[in-house]
Amino acid sequence: MDNILELKDLHVSFDTFSGEVQAVRGVNLELKKGETLAIVGESGSGKSVTSKTIMGLIPKPPGKIKNGEILFEGKDLLKFSNKEMQRVRGKEISMIFQDPMTALNPTMKVGKQIMEGLIKHQNMSKSDAKKRAIELLELVGIPNPDARVDQYPHEFSGGMRQRVVIAIALACNPKVLIADEPTTALDVTIQAQILDLMKDLQDKTGTAIVLITHDLGVVANLAQKVAVMYGGKVVETGTVDEIFYNPKHPYTWGLLSSMPKLHDHSNKLLAIPGSPPDLSDPPKGCPFAARCPHAMKVCVDHMPGYFELSETQKSACWLVDERAPKVNPPETIGVRGE
Amino acid sequence: MVRYVLKRIGYMIITFFVIVTLTFIAMKLLPGTPFKTQSRLSPEQLAQLRHYYGLDQPIPVQYVQYLWHALHGDLGGSFQYGMRPITTMLAEKFPVSLDLGLEAIILGAIIGILLGIVAGIKRGTFIDYGSMIISVLGISIPSFIFAVFLQYYFAVKNQWLPVAEWNGGISYHILPVVALSVAVIANVARFMRTEMVEVLGQDYIITAKAKGISSTAVVFKHAVRNAMIPVITILGPLTAAIITGSLVIENIFAIPGIGNQFVESILTNDYPMIMGTTELYAALFIITVFIVDILYVIIDPRIRLTGGDA
Repeated sequence: MDNILELKDLHVSFDTFSGEVQAVRGVNLELKKGETLAIVGESGSGKSVTSKTIMGLIPKPPGKIKNGEILFEGKDLLKFSNKEMQRVRGKEISMIFQDPMTALNPTMKVGKQIMEGLIKHQNMSKSDAKKRAIELLELVGIPNPDARVDQYPHEFSGGMRQRVVIAIALACNPKVLIADEPTTALDVTIQAQILDLMKDLQDKTGTAIVLITHDLGVVANLAQKVAVMYGGKVVETGTVDEIFYNPKHPYTWGLLSSMPKLHDHSNKLLAIPGSPPDLSDPPKGCPFAARCPHAMKVCVDHMPGYFELSETQKSACWLVDERAPKVNPPETIGVRGE
Repeated sequence: MVRYVLKRIGYMIITFFVIVTLTFIAMKLLPGTPFKTQSRLSPEQLAQLRHYYGLDQPIPVQYVQYLWHALHGDLGGSFQYGMRPITTMLAEKFPVSLDLGLEAIILGAIIGILLGIVAGIKRGTFIDYGSMIISVLGISIPSFIFAVFLQYYFAVKNQWLPVAEWNGGISYHILPVVALSVAVIANVARFMRTEMVEVLGQDYIITAKAKGISSTAVVFKHAVRNAMIPVITILGPLTAAIITGSLVIENIFAIPGIGNQFVESILTNDYPMIMGTTELYAALFIITVFIVDILYVIIDPRIRLTGGDA
């Protein structure tokens, strides 16, 4: 049991005017100490809801957790009271957000925004917390931190703001860091810098990272394990190598095919045709069946269980079943660096 | 900042001058004379009166004379009150209106903001709907209805408070202040609620929650300050409107305030009084707007005051 974070059969729904939307439908994930797990999938696949549920940041109502466990160091966070959750948030588990332009309070000095967590969780005095805030700004690579600590967010560029967001998240040395699309809102050169920074900080602090993204390039860069989500379910998990070089699920194939390739200028961008299922009325069978080029009758009627392909790789696809016809992955699967 | 303030003060003086000029012209276009009510006057007597008050001179000359005296702090004397100096009369009546107005705006702003915060946090609940119903009632029902209701219940039926008299004591303030503050509460609460709902949906609120600080700290340290920015905008003109006195409320509670005086002066063509009161109102309004702009800078660090963009 060296899992620091484990999700078991997590179900999260939202009540809307058009009925109950089942955003997360039975997600299982495991994260070991110091490890990086990437959750990939397109918009609406349930990645962000999963991460916010771990943090206890799902607004209830309209959200509700229908079933499941979130075990952090063996304790179920879903059974924690509000007060207990406050002690977990920011201290044990913290979060980096997608858009640094809106994730910081515009009317509060960045130093103060970093200090808040320190004062709350580590009982620091204001002056100690400020010293630590300056150290943190230096740690995340903000030049001239002594002066920057007293500035407001609008005096920072997007990349610098994301560094501040990271500094806030790392302030109390959390054991788990959830990064919800940390580079999506940044331009490409800054993306690389932020990823390097995250890698570097993980080496220094040993924090486990849950990385939520739809950018497979980011995954290859940072993660050891990947969980591919679709329609509120994890459809395939494995190590980075397994997912990139030996994917079994047609949705993973589709994702990999739709990655732009560096040396191939002739082909147009490939997309997966169709759109994700309506989660207010989720399909009975595999959620990807409607868009899957290899869908069989069984796919529409029954959700496949997980087929264990190796100690680390699991795929929820009927094609892996020995009775299924042999299907080869498409040649369009792009692998980084090839 | 200093350059900005100096520049603003310059503009404020120009604005004030324009208002004074326009009021003077508008006032002279009013039909009637200050002496219309004393209808038994013979033409000779009337001419004599006009000469006495300087009204027989051409209007541009009157205007220049008025400005010249005003610049020296002399706003003239009231035609209706035996040439009592306007400045003395304003100094006598205005503090009463100012007192009541400030009390009403402070009471109204505090209650309104709190009501808005609670409604915003408890969106879609009984508390939210309850406070918004109060707010809509406060906006749509005129203040004198509340005033009469308050009088009936607290002064006539129960005789806890004086009905309609004035000696300046605290018990005389309570009913008029409450009646005046109803509109403030209603406007501020509605605005504050909208802003709270908006701000609470912002990403930085999630960031704050993700730090593990208490929900009270999230609301008061992160949400309220941001939600206050637009509310200050309406508080400015609202303050100006209320401290300059409400004719109706002052009438109902028999308060010797300036609102009453102003209306009377217009009805009787008491030119110096009209000019004096308008100037006071204009000055107050201009200064309030200026204070609001300065408050913006204090509350919102993104706003910078530079000499360039006044």
